Order: sequence, then C-alpha cells, then structure tokens
Amino acid sequence: MDPDAGNLLDIQFQGIVVIVGNYGSGKTEVAINLALACRPKADAVRVVDLDLVNPYFRTREARALLAGHQIELILPPATYLHADLPILSPAVAGAIRGAGHLTILDVGGDDVGATVLASLADAFRGQTIQMLQVVNPHRPNTDSVPGCLAMRAEIEAAAKMEVTGWIGNAHLMEATTPQTVWDGYEFVAELSSASGLPLAFITAPGALIGALSDRPINCPVLPIQRQLVPPWLKAETITDGEPDEPGRAPGSI
Amino acid sequence: MGKVLMKGNEAIGEAAIRAGCLNYFAYPITPQSEVAEYLSRRMDEVGGVFLQGESEVAVGYMIFGAAGCGARVFTTSSSPGISLMSEALSYITCAQCPAVFVNIMRGGPGLGGILPSQGDYFQATKGGGHGDYRLFVMAPASVQEAVQMVMEAFPIAEKYRNPVMILGDGLIGQMMEPVEFPEDLVVKPTNKDEWATNGIGNRSDDSPNLVKSLFLDPVQLNSHNLMLKAKYDRMRREDVRYEAYNTDGDYRALIVSYGTMSRVCRTAIDFLKEEGLEVAMIRPQTLFPFPEEAVRDAAGKAGCQVAVSIEMSMGQMVEDVERSIQGRCPVEWYGKCGGEVPTPEEIMDVVRGMLKG
Repeated sequence: MDPDAGNLLDIQFQGIVVIVGNYGSGKTEVAINLALACRPKADAVRVVDLDLVNPYFRTREARALLAGHQIELILPPATYLHADLPILSPAVAGAIRGAGHLTILDVGGDDVGATVLASLADAFRGQTIQMLQVVNPHRPNTDSVPGCLAMRAEIEAAAKMEVTGWIGNAHLMEATTPQTVWDGYEFVAELSSASGLPLAFITAPGALIGALSDRPINCPVLPIQRQLVPPWLKAETITDGEPDEPGRAPGSI
Repeated sequence: MGKVLMKGNEAIGEAAIRAGCLNYFAYPITPQSEVAEYLSRRMDEVGGVFLQGESEVAVGYMIFGAAGCGARVFTTSSSPGISLMSEALSYITCAQCPAVFVNIMRGGPGLGGILPSQGDYFQATKGGGHGDYRLFVMAPASVQEAVQMVMEAFPIAEKYRNPVMILGDGLIGQMMEPVEFPEDLVVKPTNKDEWATNGIGNRSDDSPNLVKSLFLDPVQLNSHNLMLKAKYDRMRREDVRYEAYNTDGDYRALIVSYGTMSRVCRTAIDFLKEEGLEVAMIRPQTLFPFPEEAVRDAAGKAGCQVAVSIEMSMGQMVEDVERSIQGRCPVEWYGKCGGEVPTPEEIMDVVRGMLKG
C-alpha cells in the first residue's frame, strides 16, 4: 500500500450498491464489512439479504451484529428464515424504492443467484445503481480474466443489469498472506483494464493491513473482519479503529 | 495446481474426478446440491457423465448398473435421499459392486431441516437397507479431509468390492476451506476383470462374470453371507482409522466425536487446557470399522474418569463407544440435532459438569 496515497481504508458509497459474483466469491462477507465500514459516516445504512439460493452462511447470520451498529437488515419474514425456498419479501422492492443514504444488496451466487434482480426491475427503474462483481481468483471458474468476464456476462444476462465495477477479494481464508493480497490486486487490476470497468476496491484480512505497506496498492482497501465463521471459530471483533487480531487460532484438523 | 478455495460440495465433486471417477448420477437436495451443480459443468469438461435421475431410487440403481459394469461411479445426496437409495445399497453390497456414496447429512427424521446434523449414524454404520450388510463409512472433519477420503474411497471400495459411504454433515458440504488435490492418491482399478460384467474380453474362461443379489438356495445364501462377514472382519483388521488428540499426557475425560463436531470439541479441549483441565479426544475417521481399540485404550488410561460421545445426533454413537470401552469408565452423551451446532463453551460446561457430578 502506498502510505502517501491518502487514507485508502476510507471507503464511502452512496445510493444503491448491488453486490454480485460467483458462488463463494465472498459477497456476503464483503457486504457486511462494507456496511460496517460505511456506517460511521453515513446517515443510514441498510443491507438487503437477497441470497435466495444459498442455504448456509448468509447475511442473516450477522443480524445481531448489524443491528448493534444500527444497520437495518431486510430479511424474509422470520417464519421463513430457515426455509429451503427462494422467498422474495415485498419489503425488498420497498427498500430499493425508498433507498436512503446507502442500501447494499447482497445477492446470491452466479447467474442463478442474480436472476432475482431481473424481477426487481420496476423497483430499480430511474435509480442510480452500482453493481459490483466480487472476484476471488482462488475460486474455480474465476481464476482467469476470461473466466471472470464469462461469469460477468452470465450474471448480467440473468440480472438484466450491467456490472459497473469490480471488487477484488483474493483470499484463502486463514491461509491468506500479504502475497495473496498483492497478487490478487494485480489480477483484478488486469481485469479492470481488460474490461474497461473501474476497480472499486480490494479487500484484505484486517490482521494483514499493517503488513501490506511494502508494495503499492492504488485503490481503496476494505479490511475484512470475518463474521461468517464455522462454530469452532469466533467471529472477529469489529472496531472503529485498528482491527483486532483474530480471537482464536484457526481450526487445523 | 496449488491451493484453491472450495466449498466442500465442490471439492467432493472435483476429488471424485481427480480419482478417476467419470460417472456421476444424482438428484439434487439441500445441503448437497452444489455437488450436482459443480459436476454438471465439470463432467462435461472432462468427458464424463452426469445424469440426473428422476429420483434417488432411480439413482441407486443407476449406480448399481454402472458399478456392475466395472465403472468407477459415485453419487451424492442428503439424508432423505440416502433413505431412498437404501434398497439399492443392500442390493449393491450383496452383489459386491464397488461404488462411492456421499451423504451430506441434514436434520431429521422425516424431511427434518436443511441445517447440519449427524443423525444418519445408524443408517450408515448399521445398514439403512435390509439384510446382513455393512458399508465402509468414512467421516471427514474438514474440506481437505473430504477431498482425501473421496479420493481414497474408490480404491477402498474396489479392494473390498463393497460400497463406501462418506458421511459428512451439512457444514462439510457448505463451508469453504483452501484445498489441494494430492496426485499420490490417484490409484487405478486393478481387479475389475475378475468380476465386472464388462464383456468376455481376453479371459480364457468362457463362463461370463455374473453380478447378482439373488440366492434362492439357503445354503448358498448362508455361505454368501459368511463370505461378506469375513470381508467386514477384514475391514476391522486392516482399515480402521482415527485421530488421537491430546492423548499423550494424563487427562480426566475422553471425548469421542467425529466430523465437524470434533472441531468444536478440539477448540473446547484447547480452552480447557488453558484452564488447567486436560481432556483427550479420539476422532473416528472410519465409523465402520469403528476404532474400538483406540477408544478402549484411551478410556482405560489411569485418571480418565468419564468418556463422552459428543454428536449432532441423539446418542447414536454411544453404543459403539460403550461397546468399545467395555465398562472401563462411565460413558455419557451430549449432543444436539436440530441444526444447531453445540458451541465450544457448551462442550466446556458439559465436560466440567460431568467431572463434578
């Protein structure tokens, strides 16, 4: 990271931000951390759990955390919270139409997950929207620029909306190193030039932020404090200042 | 290929391909549907076959047919789907065909729920179908171990000419971890010409191989069952697997736990150690054959006051733990099976409570 390039951690968005990407690209973790990062300077932040295809590890698992930061989370009705059905609450269209300062839509994976966006076309009409595609080059099918572009085309066709920028989310969970982040940055920078779409930001594990200063990263960096963890790990603590070290050693069986 | 970040379900599909299995028949069900989704793309890329059956009953017999021809074949499903395949599992086992079945368990009984569970322990280890048969049952605790077990399952199935069941809970299928695919686990099939209905080929004997599960002659059927029993006894002698954790020093309690549940227990054991309370764990990696000797020895260690089976089921493993320990110490149970996974703190309280009581 280039220390003279201003506060690269200062990420601010307004309006409607739609987070899309392939399965397991990290959309939900990005959506939660982005909402928390934007909250201190935003009048109101709202997150819409639009993941209708994934049965586990959804935004709804972080509802207490988001509520604690006065971030509104739009979910299916409580009765259907564990339903194995794609339930689209009417509150979603309402949240889009009445979008306040910042509304983040966490969409399900692949073109299948993005299909729901097409059904919300009326609500989106006339609004300014950023649709950002999350890319982790360590995931199958998005480990190459053509792979990412193919995924983009499939998502756009299903969503009937266009991707407007990229989020670089290169990581290998607890095996992530600074090199993973640097290589991921170069990958997504290349993707940005190949596609002509801007690189909105990259992510890095909160605990590694301090170790990234040896090489230039010329885009904002969103520190990630993992929230969607399996039961033998603790979610990382969200703070307004320096990120904490992870609470527990990663499971290693 | 270096490390990639994969969902358990995707990694299971890729591991099967890497192991040389190019035949996959399945029917989607949460929480394992991503295997089918992943392989619908990948099987096409590698020239393999993915056929979605009209039901799990049909899938079971597709497996039987392909396995009987000597093809490497596997399926994946989740609890209710495995129930529907149980008839075929009995037939396949009787006919001695190697095949791999993966069960990414969800809460039951009945339709239950879609969250993680270990409620199919009895079904997997004691037979969900009819007759005297056993499956070779492996239980991974991580996505990497699921990869390894799937790759090893094919040669094990061929060694015993018996189906292998990989028993994972919903978390194994749904969570993401970095994985590698070890090249050294790729083993070519060796014995199929001796039994598979793959044509007479160059065999000198002109009597064809026959794959069947019908034995109307009672003497013949009894002999067949004795031969199957000898095979299950051989599994017990040659292929028991387990991991021992914190068993080197003295300890006051022994946990027996498998799958992702054992990872929660491991975290609890680490925290209890910080408090000065030593607890050990035996993690069965094979549920059949069960690591009886390892559990018996660990429970019989001086100072071990109690053994506790910790499961995401209502005590289904307890009888195997009791049978192994043979009264060397009291055996207790703790678990949940609605889809909630017990936390490390709960496990710590349970162990402390049992030692006080």
